[in-house]
Amino acid sequence: MNRRHFLTGAGGTMAAGRLAGAPGRHQPFSFCDCAMEPQAAPMGADALAAVGSKVRITNLKTFGVTIPGAPPDRPYVFVKLETNAGVAGWGEGTLEGKAGAVLACINDFKEFLIGADPMPVEHHWQSMYVHSFYRAGPVMGSAISALDQALWDLRGKILGVPVYKLLGGPNDPEGVRGYYVANARTLEDLQRLRESAASQGITAFKGGLPNYYEWIETSQKIAEAIRHVQTLREGLGPDLDIAVDFHAKTSPSVAAVIIKELDALHLLWVEEPCPPENVRAMARIARRVETPIATGERLVASYGVRELVEQAVVDIIQTDMNHVGGITALWKVAALANVSSISMAPHACEGPIGMLASLHVDASIPNFLIQECCGQAVPQVRDKVWEEWFGFPAMRMVNGKYPLPEKPGLGFELTEEALKKYPFAGSRPMARVFHKDGSVAEW
Amino acid sequence: MPAPLNPQLEMSALDIFPVREPISRRAYTVLRLRTRSGPIGFGECSAISPAELAALRAAIQGKEASSFESIRREVPVAASAMAGLNMAMLDVVGKFTGAPVYQVLGGPTRNKARALARIDGETDDAIVASIGQARAAGHRAFLVPVPMTHSRNHSATLVNATRQRLDRVRSAAAEGSDFVLDAAAGLTPGDASSLAAVLERSHLLWFDEPCPLLNLSAACRIAGENVTPVGFGRFAAEAGVFQDLLRNDAVDVVRPDLGRHGVTQVRRVAAVAEPYYVAIAPFHDGGPIATAAALQLAASLPNFFIQQVPYPAAGEDRRMRTRLTGAPVETVQDGFLQLPSGPGLGISVNESALAEYREREA
Repeated sequence: MNRRHFLTGAGGTMAAGRLAGAPGRHQPFSFCDCAMEPQAAPMGADALAAVGSKVRITNLKTFGVTIPGAPPDRPYVFVKLETNAGVAGWGEGTLEGKAGAVLACINDFKEFLIGADPMPVEHHWQSMYVHSFYRAGPVMGSAISALDQALWDLRGKILGVPVYKLLGGPNDPEGVRGYYVANARTLEDLQRLRESAASQGITAFKGGLPNYYEWIETSQKIAEAIRHVQTLREGLGPDLDIAVDFHAKTSPSVAAVIIKELDALHLLWVEEPCPPENVRAMARIARRVETPIATGERLVASYGVRELVEQAVVDIIQTDMNHVGGITALWKVAALANVSSISMAPHACEGPIGMLASLHVDASIPNFLIQECCGQAVPQVRDKVWEEWFGFPAMRMVNGKYPLPEKPGLGFELTEEALKKYPFAGSRPMARVFHKDGSVAEW
Repeated sequence: MPAPLNPQLEMSALDIFPVREPISRRAYTVLRLRTRSGPIGFGECSAISPAELAALRAAIQGKEASSFESIRREVPVAASAMAGLNMAMLDVVGKFTGAPVYQVLGGPTRNKARALARIDGETDDAIVASIGQARAAGHRAFLVPVPMTHSRNHSATLVNATRQRLDRVRSAAAEGSDFVLDAAAGLTPGDASSLAAVLERSHLLWFDEPCPLLNLSAACRIAGENVTPVGFGRFAAEAGVFQDLLRNDAVDVVRPDLGRHGVTQVRRVAAVAEPYYVAIAPFHDGGPIATAAALQLAASLPNFFIQQVPYPAAGEDRRMRTRLTGAPVETVQDGFLQLPSGPGLGISVNESALAEYREREA
C-alpha cells in the first residue's frame, strides 16, 4: 500500500467519491421537532473530507467467538473494519453476559462508519457517543470500545507504526508490567506459586475473597475473609505485590471492617470494596482504611470516572479497554487520573484484542502501574488458542512484563478463518449467586 | 528483546535559533531536530538556556522521535523547552508517517480553527486602529485588554473605562465581531468580580485571566457571582491547577499556554476539561511555528473552541512570521484559520529566514 497516496490532501474529492454500496447518510428523516434543526449536507465526516485521508471504511463485520472450556458468560465480541486501502482493523467489545447486545449495538453504528475515513478516530468516538443521545452504559461503551480499537488498529497500520508510538511510548522497551491470578488457596499451593513466580520473574498476583457477603456480616465470615488474605500473604511471601479483589461482594460497612484488618499486610490494593454506583460510599471506605483502593472496571468514558478523581477517592483506577470506550477513552481517563497522581491498573478479563490494545496505552501513559490479563502462571486453554490465532503467545509475561507488539497498529494479524474453529455459541448470562435465605448476592 | 531503533526516527541532533520580531520585540526560539536518516522536525518555545539545550541533546540520543513520553519524564528541564522538543518530535513523526500531526493524534475533529487575534495597544485609539487592521485581515474575534489605571482598587473608574473601551471597539469592529476581555491577571478578585457582573449581559466570549491565580477561593468568587464566562490558565505551570479550577466550578474556558506545556500536555489538559463540558482555548503568544502546532492540536481535540494568535500591529513583524514558516499559516478567513496541509506540522521552515532574524548574543 502506498501510504502517502492515501494520506496527502484529499482535496474534497472523496466527498463525491463515496464508495458504491455504502448506505446514504443524508436521507431525510423525521424528528420530534423539539430541538433539532435539520442540517444541509455535507455534514459530519463528509465535512472533514478535505482535511482527511483518502482511506475509506468499506465494511464492518462482527464476530461472536466461543472458546470451549473458557468462561461461557464471555464469548468474545470482535469487530473487523475493512478498507479500500487493503488493510483491516480489529477491535474487541466483549461484555460478560451481554454478547448479543454488544454485537447488535456495534451494528447500530454501521451507518456512522461505512464510507467514512477511518483516520479521525476522535471525531467518530464523539459522534458515536454524543449522537447516541442517552450517553453510554456498559453495552454501548463496549460497542464504542470495539470500534475505537479497530479504528486505532487501522490508524497504526495506515501510518506504519505500532499504536504506542503514536501515543508517545514506550515507557519501557522491555514491555508492560503485569500480574496473574493467584489460583491457589492452601499454604502449600501458594508456596509453589511463589517459587514459579521467582523463576518466571513475576512480581505481582491478585487474589479474591471467599464467600458472599450480606449488607452486614457475622463475625465468622469476617474472620474467614481475613484469614484467607493472611494466607495469601503468608504463602506468597513479603516480596511479591498482592492485590485483593473484593469484586463488590461486600457492602461499604463490611468492606471497611475487613480492610482495617488487612492494612497490616500492605497489599498493593483492595479492589472494588463496594459496588460502583455510589462514589461517596466508596469514599467512606477509603477514608477509614490505609490500604490503597482500586476501582473502575465497570465505568464508561472519562465522564464515568470524573467524580472518583475529583473527590480524590481512590489511589488506582482500573477502567477496562473493552468497556471504557477503547484507546481514546482509556488515554483520557489516564490523563484525568494523572493530574491527581492516581495510578492506572487497567482491568482486562475478556479476549486478547482488548488486552493487546491495553498494552499500547499502558506503554505510553505516565501513571501506569500494572496490567491485568486474568491469566495464570501456568498457561490455560485460552492461551493456546490465542497463540494459534496470532502466532505469538499473547499476554504471556517474560520477566514479569508483557512484551510489546512490534508490528504496526495493535500489532497482530488475525484472519476470519482462524476464528471459524470457535463458532459463537450464543450469549450466556453471568453466574447468578444467592445467599442461604434465597436473596440475591453480589459476586 | 526490544526492537532496534529505526534510523528514520532515531534522533541525532538538536539545534536552536532564538529569533526576535523587529518591532514588537516578541522573542521566541525555534528548535531544529535532525534524525539519523529520516525527516527534520521543527518546534518552538519561549527560550532555552545552554544547560537545557545540553540536557535535551543528551536525552534524545538513542531514542526515536516517537518516544516523547519517556523523554519527558527523564529530562529535568523547564516545561517550555520540553514543549518545543515535543512539537519538533511530533513534526518528525508526522513527516515519517506521511500524515499531518492532527492525524497522528487522532484527528481531524474539524476542518478549520476559529481564530482569536490578540490586539496590541494601550489606548482606546491604538486598540481601535489595531482591531480595524485585524478585521480587514479576516479576524472576527479579538482579545482586548482591560484599561489599566495603575491603582490597586478601581471601582467605578475601571467599570466606566472598560465600558467605554468595549463600546468603542464594538462600533469599530462592526457586526459579527466577538470579544474576549483580557485582564492579564491585573485586577483584584473584587474588582474582577464587579466588572464581570457589570458585563454579564455584554455577551463577551469570556473574561480572560481576571485576577492572579494566587489561591483558588479568589478565582472561585468571580465565576460564582455572575454568568460572565471566565478563562484562566496562561500562567499555570501544572495541569493540576486546571483540575482544581474545574472541580471548583471556577472556569469556563481553560487557557494553557501552548509554549509552556506543548501539544501533548495541552491534550491532557483538554482531556481533564472535557468531562466538565468546558472548552479549551490555548494561550499562544509565540511565533508562527507554534501557531502551526496549535492548529494541529486544535484539529485533534473535541473541546477546542478558539486559537489565540498574536496579531502584531507592525507589518514588518507579520512579514517575518510569514517568512519563517514558508507559508502564511496565520492567514485568517472570515474568522477562521485554515489547517496546514502536508505531513508533520504542515510548514516548511525557512532556514535562511531563521538565520536572518536570529538574535545575536549581546
